[in-house]
This record gives sequence, C-alpha cells and structure tokens, in this order.
Amino acid sequence: MPVRLVAWWRPWRRVMAAEVLKQHRILFGTRFIYFSLLVWPGVNLATAYYGFKPFLGAAGLAQRWPSVSDPRTLFLFFTTGMLGYTFFWSLVQAAWQFSWERFHGTLELVFLSPASRMALVLANGAGALVQSTWLFLAFACGLTALVGGLNLAHPGMLVVAFVGLLVPAVAWGAFLNSLFIFSRDSGFLYTILDEPMALLSGVRIPPQALPALARAAGMAFPLSTSLIVLRGALLEARTLSDLWPRLLFLLALSAVLVGLAAMLLRWGEAHAKRSGSLTLF
Amino acid sequence: MGRGIIAEELTKVYSSQRRQGWFRTVREEKRAVDGLSLSVPPGRVTGLLGLNGAGKTTTIKMLSTLLLPTAGRAEVDGLDLVRDANAIRRKVNMIAGGERMVYWRLTGRENLWYFAQLYDVEPRGLKERIDSLLRSVGLADAADKPVEQYSKGMKQRLQIVRGLINDPTYIFMDEPTLGLDVPVARELRQTVRRLTAEEGKGVLLTSHYLAEVEELCAYIYVVNGGRLEAQGSPADLKRLTRRDRQVKVLLAELPAAVNTALDAVAAESGARIERQPVPEGVLVTVRHQSDLSGRVAGAVALAGASILKLEALEPTLEEAILALADVGKPEVISRAG
Repeated sequence: MPVRLVAWWRPWRRVMAAEVLKQHRILFGTRFIYFSLLVWPGVNLATAYYGFKPFLGAAGLAQRWPSVSDPRTLFLFFTTGMLGYTFFWSLVQAAWQFSWERFHGTLELVFLSPASRMALVLANGAGALVQSTWLFLAFACGLTALVGGLNLAHPGMLVVAFVGLLVPAVAWGAFLNSLFIFSRDSGFLYTILDEPMALLSGVRIPPQALPALARAAGMAFPLSTSLIVLRGALLEARTLSDLWPRLLFLLALSAVLVGLAAMLLRWGEAHAKRSGSLTLF
Repeated sequence: MGRGIIAEELTKVYSSQRRQGWFRTVREEKRAVDGLSLSVPPGRVTGLLGLNGAGKTTTIKMLSTLLLPTAGRAEVDGLDLVRDANAIRRKVNMIAGGERMVYWRLTGRENLWYFAQLYDVEPRGLKERIDSLLRSVGLADAADKPVEQYSKGMKQRLQIVRGLINDPTYIFMDEPTLGLDVPVARELRQTVRRLTAEEGKGVLLTSHYLAEVEELCAYIYVVNGGRLEAQGSPADLKRLTRRDRQVKVLLAELPAAVNTALDAVAAESGARIERQPVPEGVLVTVRHQSDLSGRVAGAVALAGASILKLEALEPTLEEAILALADVGKPEVISRAG
C-alpha cells in the first residue's frame, strides 16, 4: 500500500514543484505583488481604520460590535480582514492569470501532458498563494507585533488560524482556476469577486452588521468563515472546541469546492476537446 | 498491437453559434476534417500538406488528444485515441512554430525542467538530459537566461527541445521552421532526420516550405478542405499531376536547321516548344510529361548547333500540391480513393 501511495503521490508532488517554480518566477519580487498585494491592501487597511476611528466612542457601538472597543482591537480587526482578503484575492488574480495561458499557447501544452489536471489547479493556486501573500503576511505579522493586543487561548491556535485560512484558500484557488481556464467570458468574475467578496465576507465590517440575506450569501465565500476563525483564534481567545463547528464547515466547504473543481475540470476539458476552445489561435 | 499511428475515417465538425441581430443566433457547423485516413509509422517522417484551412492543425490536435474526433477512430501503437488518451499523451509531443508555447519568465533550463515534471520524466539523469537537449540546439550558453531575453530563433529552438523532453515515440510538428533563419532551419531538418533514422521516432510534419517536406518526408498526405486529396511519396505526388517536365536549352543562335529539328521532336512527341530571345542568345523551352532532354540535345547537336546550357527541370512538389489543392483542375489525374 505505501508503495502504491508513493507511486500516486510522486507525479502530484512533481506537478506541485513545477507550478511553485513557475509561480515563483512569474510573481516573486514583481511590481504586481508590491502594488496589488501589499500597497493596495495596505492603503485599504489605513482607509478602513481611519474611516472608522472617529466613531470609536459612539454610544452603544461597542455593545453591537465589541471589536471597536478600542483603537487597537479595531486595527487588528481590519488587519486580519485584509490578511484574509489578500489570501483569497491573490487566488482570484492567479486564476485570471492562468486563464491567459490560453493566449500564450502554454495551456494547450499543459493539457497535452499526462499531468493530473486536479494537481495542476491545486498546485497553481497553492504556488500563487505562497508567492503572493508572504509579503503581506510578513507585513501583517510585523504590524501586529508592533501594535500588540493579540488575545490567544493557546499558541497552538496560531496554527489553527493559519490552517483555517490556508486550506479553504487553496480549495478556492482550485475552484477558480477550473472556472477561469475553460471560459473566455469568466473575466466578469474578476469584478464580482473583488468588492462584493470583501463586503459579504466581513473584511471591513462585521458580518452581523449585514442583512440576513447578505450574511447567507456571504457564507458561500470561504473567506467569511476563515475570517471568523482567524479573528476568533487571534483576537477573541477562542479555543479549538469553540471553533470546531466553523472549522468543520470550512472543511466541508473546501471539499465542495474541490469537488466542484474536479467536475468543472472534467466538463471543461471535455467541452474544450469538442469545441477546440483550449487555444485561441 | 499495431505499431504507429493509424487513423481511420477521422472527422471533426466544429459547431458554433453566429449572432443574427439582438436575440437570434444561428447554429453553424464547419467540417474541418472529413473522413481522413492516414498512418504515421515509427522511424519515418510523414508529411501532411494542404493550403490554409485544409484541416492539418485540426488533424494534429485530434491525434495528439487535444481534440475529440466527431467520427472515425485512431490509435497510437494500439492504444485507442479516446479511451487511452492519457497513455497516448506519454508517447507523443508537439512542436509548433513561433515564439509562443514556452514560459518567457522562466529560463530555458527551467522551461525544460517544468515540462519534465508534468511528464513525470525519470528524475535520475534528468539534469544531464536537459543539458544535452539544450546543447543539441545551441542553447547551452543561454540555458540560465530568462526566455524573454532570447531571440526569436532561440525561443523556437527551445520549443523544439521542449517537444523532446518526454522522449516521445511520435512527434507532431506543425510548421516547426516557421520564421527560422536558414541555418537554424537546416539544423532542425538534420535533427528531424536523426530522430527518425537513429532513434526510430515517427514524425508527422506540416510545413508551408515544400522543399523541406520534399527533403524530409518519405510519404505525404495532401488534404484540401478537410478531405484527403492524394497520398504517396513526393515522386508519386509529382507524377499524379500532369505538370510538364521542362527542358531548357540555351543556344547562341537559332539556325533554320535547328528550328526544323526541334519542330520534328515536337511533332513526334506532342511536346510544346517556346523560343525566347535572351541577351546570351535564344532560350528554347520544351515542355512534355516525359523527360525529353536526350532527344532535344541530340536533335540540336545533329542540326549542327552548339549548346551553351541545358537544364532538365522536374515539376516541383509545390506545383503538384497547388494542382491537387485546386479542386476540379483538369490536369489532376489521380486522387486518393
């Protein structure tokens, strides 16, 4: 059995390594990363913080939204929000970039190879995630260390928070990749998944401030639950036993996203093979 | 289990929707390949020729598993094109002309390494294999430079070795020398010859450079409008068209006796003769399906004239393809059945 597992895993591992290298060369140290995934979220963070700061002392606000009890917790609320958003948004951008490989002819060559399609989309997402988010992650960690105010039940909850962000993000990336690479018209998702995802997932405002329908719609984005876990673990001293229903939901949602990705990949490739739409030349 | 690529009655129909006005769309079908049967044996270069839109690229994409045939079947070394697509992908690769189809941000070496991972090429000896491939196309010195710094020819050479990274048994070459300068194109032709003759690989080649096809291909399929028009060796194809051979004789002058002798040759054989004054004298062109160079030279010599130059010209493959592609042309006498 272990031999079979190794035989199955080896091509996956190699596809992952290949995609990580590709993402590294495409993204590492580029202006795109500095501006789109550091400066821009940084500016957003500052805008959100200074936009809310004047209302900190408003009567009754702290009861409805405990995170705004003081400037420090408000700042950490936005920092965690932008960190989660950067993770998920970087995958939207990576999927959009992957879809451009159709124009460069490389997507056709990738699909000419026997490589597992699922390994490819998972690896592309994971590779892009690592290459795109390390900078803002370091920035957020630095800021948090500077400001202070983390409220952890246990140091191990840092790992829980990170896994709660990483696993759904990779599944989200696989889903988006499978959606983008086979469709010429999926560019509109790039717009839809930007501000609406930030709003409905509670990046800059707490989800409880939204109407019930918007909250329900927001649950479709794994970012919503990831942020609840992230903030619960880092800011509200929640324990694993407090968060397990959310983690279970994230796991189920990730499984659904990966399942959908597998379906889309199968359907998309079959369609592309019928229609010849894998390349645009 | 049969060796080689064998396609039978391969057909591809593209279906699309064309908008008519705001709300109405009309479904359209285009038959890109229509009942094409061909075989690509190992150890030989097989040509696939035709004018633009003839169905060459669609055929290559079907045989390489990138497109699903609408009808017909094909197998690669006994593996079914549809059912065993993944096993076939390990056996084939594609090389297309142009600068695309490599990652410009990666170095040449990294490009090869990337595709080697996708094909799960044996890691042991991979570094040496990559070095050797890069050396074979003169890219050893540029191996660690990003591809965006490569010239057009260098990118195309990298594309060629990328197509060899999985040591494929069959290689589809779609206009591989498009835009390459002459020495590089010649090197590529040498590589193709080596791959087939020494390594036993089967190559299916499409090219607009018919001299290249004539030089490399042992057997050629000519397609037009998705249908097979003719097949055979380059010599067979040239024979299929009633294009004349030409004998060009350059004479210092054209005395009456030579004129009479040439008219006699024309009358006996049915050849057409043109006489054209040129600065050096007179150029006589004799056109006939068979080679009349001996008879023409003999007749001229017996009439007492001295020949400054004599050339016997075969019809080119290009002429043959043009004739075959031109449906309804009367001089095409034989087509594939």
